[in-house]
This record gives sequence, structure tokens and C-alpha cells, in this order.
Amino acid sequence: MKYKDYYATLGVARTATADEIKTAYRKLARKYHPDVSKEAGAEEKFKEVAEAYETLKDAEKRAAYDQLGSHAPGEQFRPPPGWEQSYGESSFSFDDVDLADLFAGIAGRGRPGARGAPNMPIPGQDFEAAVRISFDQAYKGTEIEFDMAVTEPDERGFLRRVPKKIRVRVPKGVTDGQKLRVPGKGGKGANGGRDGDLYLDIEVQAHPLYRAEGLDLYMDLPLTPWEAVLGASVDVPTPAGRVTLKVPAGAHAGQKLRLSGRGLSRPDGTSGHLYAVAQIAVPTVVDERQRALYTQLKDASTFDPRAHMVD
Amino acid sequence: MVKIESSAAIVLDESGTLTVTELVERSGLSEEELQVLIDCGALAPRDAVGASWRFSAHCVVTARTARRLRDDFALDDAHALAVVLRFVQRIEALEDELRRKG
Repeated sequence: MKYKDYYATLGVARTATADEIKTAYRKLARKYHPDVSKEAGAEEKFKEVAEAYETLKDAEKRAAYDQLGSHAPGEQFRPPPGWEQSYGESSFSFDDVDLADLFAGIAGRGRPGARGAPNMPIPGQDFEAAVRISFDQAYKGTEIEFDMAVTEPDERGFLRRVPKKIRVRVPKGVTDGQKLRVPGKGGKGANGGRDGDLYLDIEVQAHPLYRAEGLDLYMDLPLTPWEAVLGASVDVPTPAGRVTLKVPAGAHAGQKLRLSGRGLSRPDGTSGHLYAVAQIAVPTVVDERQRALYTQLKDASTFDPRAHMVD
Repeated sequence: MVKIESSAAIVLDESGTLTVTELVERSGLSEEELQVLIDCGALAPRDAVGASWRFSAHCVVTARTARRLRDDFALDDAHALAVVLRFVQRIEALEDELRRKG
């Protein structure tokens, strides 16, 4: 496995006190946290710093880390003989274990797999994943399947990085940015501790026609000038199929025409509406006859949309 | 081929009634920290049953965000955490508004 010098990452001496370590971490976190930093590579840097602090802030993890000795950063190394015994076999390969994983199991119970460790129940970690679904999948509900690589204890209690296939039923009516909880699909608990949960961050892909706001949907409805003035019955799409919409006479640009109950709906029966937002579209190419008719209209009308703009 | 069982997902929205204990368990915050967040208006229980608060499932999202901020910035002070959380909530609301306006 590759060595990472956590003390160097935090910029502290190997003899630093817990307070010095915390102060150093806070300064770096303020500098590189992606919520506050616009620097390129900030997120990566923050992860390194957070990983270092995660190990060094806990007295037992720090002691276990110190026992690995001091190496050059990035150097491939094997942990000292005592570690192999804890893992139970001399042919155990540390290649597929990340340095951070070694200490993840240490939380007040000694080294992973150590005999005589107290049998305190330890709840499993929660996992998080971002999932992208289409508008259609969100509208109807869907089943999604994806892969995760998780670190969890095997039969003997030793930590391994294992690939996992997860399949989740997403109920209909979820919106972009919503979070879902999948109970029990997180990390395994130990010593009878409950399994962790999986949290999903949902991204719903934009639809070319519909924009969602909560359960309501909005779509632009282009109308010809005569449809807006005279009113019309127009054929429009909705997620559930095409319908005829009655446009009232005198419809103005921006007017919202409501198609009741045709928004997103949830399993509990609540649903939103679909709003068709009127836009007045003007033909750019007109023949001589149309031009003549428009001129007649112009002469016959006293309508002034800029009356309010006179001084 | 091994069939993978599919699991139900719970949408963390305004429905649901969680107890303080459940919220503590799901978020990783302490009860004291939760209390300070409620006092500062950063977290709103939906109602109280007898002497105990009940929370919507969405509160889990807020509480977990608070825990992430607490750990990311090593914040010891629950009041500072509540202030940071209020700012983050304001930023998220503004980003949503920007996204809606296109």
C-alpha cells in the first residue's frame, strides 16, 4: 500500500499535541473546503486533509498509524510484522487496501481483528451516492441499479474493499435535488451493531419541454397572434399524453394556463399541475396578402401596449 | 445469474414522523447539538407529541448537513454550527432560485 504522511499533510510535527493538530486542520479546512474555496484542486486537497485529520485526531488511530513507522510519501511499503499477524496470514496482500481503510475499524477497540477486543456493538457506516435519472423515470418511478466500492469487514472481521451491486426502487414523483434513504444498505455493523443506511442524492435530467417546481410542471406554449387574440383549442403534450387545451380569447404573453392534476404525482396520491405559459410567436416570413391584412389590422386598431410609458 | 434483491427507498420529504432518538441516530449529531439547532431555528420540528418533538424525514437531510459541516470544519460550538447551517441553507435557497430563473 502507498504511504501517506498525515503529519506532513497537516503541516505539523510528529510530536504535535491534539490541540495543535486540530488548529492546523481547521486552518486548512477553511482554506480548501469546496463550500468556501474556488481554487482548482481544492476538493482533492480537502479530502487529503480530512483523511489525515480523521486518523490523527483519534488517539488510538494515531498510535496505530505511528506504529507503521515513517516513510516517504507515495512509497510502497508493507506494515510491520505485527500487522500481518492481526490479519491472520503472512501471504495477505496489502495492495488492495487503502491506508485510510486500515484505521477505519479502529474506534476504541484496538487494531482490526485483534483478539480480545471488547464486544461493543458498532453501527455500520452510512454510504452516500449520487444518482442521475431521466424525467420519465422520475415521473413514473423506476428501479435503478448501480455499483459501489465499499470497505467492510469480511467473515473474519478484517477490512476489505469490495464491489457491491445495489438495486433500488425509486418511487414516482421525486424531484431534482431530493435525497432518498435506503435502510440497511450501508456498511455492515459489527458485534450486533445495526447496519448503516445508503443515502441517495437524486439528479433528475432536464426535459426539453417540462420544467419542474416541486410537483408542478411548467412548459412554454407558443401561440400565434390570432390564437391569442381570438382564443383557440390547441393540442398540447403532457407527460401522460396529448390533450386539448382551451386558450381563452385575449390571452397575453406569460399567462399561465393550468392543466389540473397533470404535474408530477406521488404514491400517496398528491399531485401537482401542469402550467402552459403562453408565448406570442410572430411569423418572420409573410407573403404579400398577409402583409396587406396585417396593415389593415394596424389601421383598424387603437390598441397601444406602450400607453403606460408616456411621460 | 444471481438476482439482486431490490430495496425500497424512502424519499426524505416533508412527510414522516421521526423521534429525537431516530434523528440523533440517523444524523450523528448529539441531542444537545440538535436542541441548539432547533433553538436557533435551523431545524424545525413539525410538532410535539406529549413532551417529545416529532420531525419530518426532511429534517434528516438538514441534520446530516449539519453533521457534515461540524466534522468538515471541526466545529466544537453548537451555536457556531447553527449559524453556519443557516448560511448554507440561505445559499442553497438562492442557488435554487437562480436555477429556476434559468
